[in-house]
Amino acid sequence: MKKLISNFLVVAAILTISACTKIDNYGGPNASFQGNIISSAGGNLQTSGGSTQIRLQQIGWTTPQTIPSKFDGTFEDTKLFKSAYKVVPTNGAFWPVTDTIVVNIAQGTKHDFTVTPYIVIKNFTTSLSGTTLTLKYDITAPIAAGLPTIKDTQPYINTTKLVGAGASIREYSDLLAVSINKSFTDLTDAEKSVTLTVPNMIPGRTFFVRVGVRLSDSFNSSNFSEIVQIDVPK
Amino acid sequence: MKSIHKLIIAITVGVGATVTSCQKLNIPPTNIVTPDVIYSSEAGVRSFLATIYTNLPIEDFKYRPDGGDDVNINGVNHHLPGFNPGNPWMNFYNTASVTGEEVGPFGGVDGSVAGGFGYWPYGDIRNVNTLIAELPKHVSALTQTTVNNLLGEAHFLRAYYYFGLAKRYGGVPIITIPQDPGAPLSTLQVHRDKEEATWDFIGAELDLGYQMMAETSDAGRANRYVAAALKSRAMLYAACVAKYGSVNFVDGPARSAGLVGIPASQAAKYFQGAYDAAKLLEGHYTLYNANADKVQNYADVFLKSGSPENIFIKQYSIATNTAHSWDATMSPRYMTANALSRSYPTLDFVQLWGNLAVTNDDGTPKRFDNRADLMQGIEPRLLATVYFPGSTLRGLTFDMQRGIYPSFSGTAAAEVAKQPNSRSYVLAGDTKTLYQGKQIIGFTGPWTGGDELTRTGFYVRKYIDYNKPQATVDLYRSEQPWIDLRYGEILLNRAEAAMELGNTSDALTSINQIRSRAGATPYSSIDLDKVRKERRMELAFENQYYWDLKRWRIADVVLDRAHFKGLMPYYVFNENKYIFLAEPELYNREYTFQKQYYYEGIPGDQIGKNPNLLPNNPNY
Repeated sequence: MKKLISNFLVVAAILTISACTKIDNYGGPNASFQGNIISSAGGNLQTSGGSTQIRLQQIGWTTPQTIPSKFDGTFEDTKLFKSAYKVVPTNGAFWPVTDTIVVNIAQGTKHDFTVTPYIVIKNFTTSLSGTTLTLKYDITAPIAAGLPTIKDTQPYINTTKLVGAGASIREYSDLLAVSINKSFTDLTDAEKSVTLTVPNMIPGRTFFVRVGVRLSDSFNSSNFSEIVQIDVPK
Repeated sequence: MKSIHKLIIAITVGVGATVTSCQKLNIPPTNIVTPDVIYSSEAGVRSFLATIYTNLPIEDFKYRPDGGDDVNINGVNHHLPGFNPGNPWMNFYNTASVTGEEVGPFGGVDGSVAGGFGYWPYGDIRNVNTLIAELPKHVSALTQTTVNNLLGEAHFLRAYYYFGLAKRYGGVPIITIPQDPGAPLSTLQVHRDKEEATWDFIGAELDLGYQMMAETSDAGRANRYVAAALKSRAMLYAACVAKYGSVNFVDGPARSAGLVGIPASQAAKYFQGAYDAAKLLEGHYTLYNANADKVQNYADVFLKSGSPENIFIKQYSIATNTAHSWDATMSPRYMTANALSRSYPTLDFVQLWGNLAVTNDDGTPKRFDNRADLMQGIEPRLLATVYFPGSTLRGLTFDMQRGIYPSFSGTAAAEVAKQPNSRSYVLAGDTKTLYQGKQIIGFTGPWTGGDELTRTGFYVRKYIDYNKPQATVDLYRSEQPWIDLRYGEILLNRAEAAMELGNTSDALTSINQIRSRAGATPYSSIDLDKVRKERRMELAFENQYYWDLKRWRIADVVLDRAHFKGLMPYYVFNENKYIFLAEPELYNREYTFQKQYYYEGIPGDQIGKNPNLLPNNPNY
């Protein structure tokens, strides 16, 4: 009897091992797509969470997918299916890109997009006096005509390098927003040079700081400055 | 030998029975209701209509804007996201809680709410289409009058479903016949119609409903005035899409193709349609005004059956497992038999009526002997819409108290601006904790330790059945009908359309009717802001403001990183007085509405079945 059972188990084991010899004939999501979103004003487009993204539409499929841009204007997705995709940068504070291009995405595919930002923040300087931080910058527009209304401008301050819309300390950021609600062409030169002060910075702490200008485009999106580190002395 | 005989007889009988038996089985299946059964009597049609009415996208007590989950009630699994009976008890998951009328369980107005839940009622529309196709064949059994009346009702119902689609998606495929499932795929995969065509279709269907239906109907069913009332609501939506949607929009292929968006030039046509439809109800319905006590009267607007203000209602019953849970989920455990409230009116909403007199001229908080003194001079309508500290329900007092100040000095603003740990108040984790013998927090909150006490200092009063004994106030135990269309809204629709058309005197008359019933001072002049504000005040918590924000295309401005406030009552121990401080509501949520949500995206599963629904709405 024992022999019978062991024989049976052996047969079962052989069957189990030999089963499923056919492998899945579809490739895994092993293609990747990466690159930069380059600002026509120079350098990468400065972005933030929940804004700029690359929209991909796989040819032959109906639902688009997106790759969010990183804060430094780069993007990367390493789990895509190899295929041809229509790609376009969207959701950010730049003039809409209407030309959708088709890219054959395979392993290691790289592509850079160039966009024209609505607003470019220039001459961004910071100065700390005691616990009060002063931020100065100029608002410029590569293309002024037809620019969406400027809603407001504000500092973004966080304790990590990930600083921007939705990733900032409200008291140092959203609550200090300065309303503008004017079109760029109606701004005086004085209004284009902004000075913001952030009081009551906590001594002995390190903060990461940038400023942004928000527009009333389709996404209420913002253009950002680069990020600077501020060490508040004890 | 005998046994052979027996065998032969047995075989003969057996074969005979077998051969003849099958004939009698040739009868119509008894478990399928055939058209003859349904259309041979009005009662038969009524049973078919019941399903169509049950599934109507009425945004009632149970409507849940994020869809919610399937729900199992008494062993029956209900899958009808968003609408009854998909949300039988969590009645605090309402649109008021994402628009700042209330704050509640939703974390904000993100994709799960504003992005929609994939509403796509073409199965229900097919039922109506079948009804419309079949009814004319049964004139002999039903009489021409009955058939006409029922056809009018069917057109109204079809318009109601398409309205539910159009306000979410813009243009959708207009399907008016029951499609043959065996037809070629190319005819089944219908393209979207333009948004303008969709609204025009809704308007025309409601005109048919108005022309063909009788003047009166049973409660819960439509008559000609219900069709006119819905038309005033729908055309106002379309008009605003044309007027405001052509200014504030997200661009994309669907917009270029007219699938979303209506040319601004069409706005006047729709405003006129809304105005004319609203005017049809004049003289047939009136505002409820039975009680000289203005507060009691306004509370009863939502509770008295047979009110002349009710145009179209939805009914509920414990016996048929359709009861809702409004009473148990809007009031604190202190006044109910179960602890399940979770959404609370904001101070921002209450201050639509003007700032509450809680601060002296020098900025210090006003001292009150009783919390109830806060209600002095408040408009009756507001008192009947919101339970203030000091008001009573079921013999119990709303004793809202956030904490105790041993002593208080300085201004309200300075105190609220302090960090919580540098404030001198005493808070508590439960109602049993005492400060020198005095209860620290009220039985009715505010408190953050659990969900079931107010986090704003207020509770909803509208629709609360104050006569219901406390022991019976539990889940699935509320039966007061939802008033889907009432004359108050029609007057507001009329006033808004009139205002947009430049007819200010008509708008002023309508608004002042509302205000005098509310116990408010009538206006001597009117503007669009006043009309809109009156609408917010009158239709609060009725799932209207969410759609108003959307059609006025101001949601992205009003809900732009918005935070809302509550009014926190405190007891000042050394003075034996109460003070009220306006503070951030205790959920401290942020609300931001993205512009793309002025339209919901066409559901992905439907695009999978029908690629002709593309292009999808902008930014989806």
